[in-house]
Amino acid sequence: MRRQVPLVLCFAFGIVMALTEFSPHQWSKWINEEVIDWALVIGPFALVIAIATLVQTHWTRIRRRTEHWQYSYLVFGGMIIMLLIGIPTFLNKIPFLSKIGLSFGQKSPIFVWLFNHVQVPMDATMFSLLAFFIASAAYRAFRARTLEATLLLGAALIVMIGNVPIGDFIWNAVMPFGENLPSDARQWILDNPNLSARRGIILGISLGVISQSIRIILGIERSYLGGVEGE
Amino acid sequence: MEWVEIMETVGIWVAALLTLCIYSFLYRDNPFYRFAEHLFVGISVGYFTVLTIHQGLIPFAWDPLAAAFKEKEWVGLVRFIPIGIGLLFFARLAPTHAWLIRYPIAILIGVGSGLAIPNVMRADIFRQIHGTLTPFAELHASGWALGPFQIFGIILMLVGVISTLTYFFFSVEHRGVVGGVSKVGIVFLMIGFGSAFGNTVMGRVSLLIQRVDFLLADWLHLI
Repeated sequence: MRRQVPLVLCFAFGIVMALTEFSPHQWSKWINEEVIDWALVIGPFALVIAIATLVQTHWTRIRRRTEHWQYSYLVFGGMIIMLLIGIPTFLNKIPFLSKIGLSFGQKSPIFVWLFNHVQVPMDATMFSLLAFFIASAAYRAFRARTLEATLLLGAALIVMIGNVPIGDFIWNAVMPFGENLPSDARQWILDNPNLSARRGIILGISLGVISQSIRIILGIERSYLGGVEGE
Repeated sequence: MEWVEIMETVGIWVAALLTLCIYSFLYRDNPFYRFAEHLFVGISVGYFTVLTIHQGLIPFAWDPLAAAFKEKEWVGLVRFIPIGIGLLFFARLAPTHAWLIRYPIAILIGVGSGLAIPNVMRADIFRQIHGTLTPFAELHASGWALGPFQIFGIILMLVGVISTLTYFFFSVEHRGVVGGVSKVGIVFLMIGFGSAFGNTVMGRVSLLIQRVDFLLADWLHLI
């Protein structure tokens, strides 16, 4: 009951989805679309568990007064504001709230403002921070000691120099031959050796995904059930 | 000043100060960075939760049920089944019934695996092989009229794909011919990783330029 039923469910849903993808019959299409919709309904419930875990973690930090516990209030504050403004669209029907300019839902001006002026800038800044760390790590780790390391370093340098206009500008000013060579070399690397390596990797990953999917559907791979055998 | 303009100005100030708070981490971990970091986590979780509810639960669960009761489209009542299955996720909160969480997980994994087989075959395997081999058909159709550089590129692509795949083929010991081909695969892989690294760095640098441009142009009006 605890392990067999999930295995049967996984097998049934896996087989149904794999077979209905190949059949053009209208019933087959209906089943396929209905099951995808079911998955889209079931999936968000997992988010509740994720939020519960986050709340539990930060609540514990506040309760135990661990280091920097005060900042956990910011997590709750940010989350609650977004949820309060984004979810209760039914409040838009209250004339008083509309009259004072308050609207709710994902298209609410306050929600959009918070997204545009808080979420997006912080997201972009967090990722741009990586530019500094990547540069510092590359400076320490990149050494052309072997052929492989030299190739990696060379390809990275050509792609970086070819990516910026100043690369071509300096080349054209200094070298009497090969106009715009850095950007042409970059494009050739991306379109040929890089693409062939990526294709090889994608093919390998795809074959792995298919074999793993078959193992999961047939119940050979059961690690997603967690716990110990017989539980 | 219009209300919208005021909010826009306040927004630019908020965004600029939060940007500086995050960049302060380049000096070292400090209260300003921690403030922005925790606010970012809270806002992001809230934002994606709202998105999930409005683009997942409401159109696929709430609307069909509402239609079932209001317009008597009784087929919508079927959606009670996935809602019930989804609610089993809450069993995780009760240790004695935590095993029930396996039911929704098994269904989601089954659906994902079932969808993956045909879609990965179609979108990745067939398309990649098609992209690798089609140039040979074009070459043949043109009566080998392409330039030597293009012909070299087409052959190089095939050699790269086969040698990269050989490198990841562990069922045979990498000795002799297989070892040689896999070494060629390493060359292609290193160039591929180098290019990926270069592109990643440039992507991050572009973001940095965009943030600095925002600070200097939109906020301080210096440029």
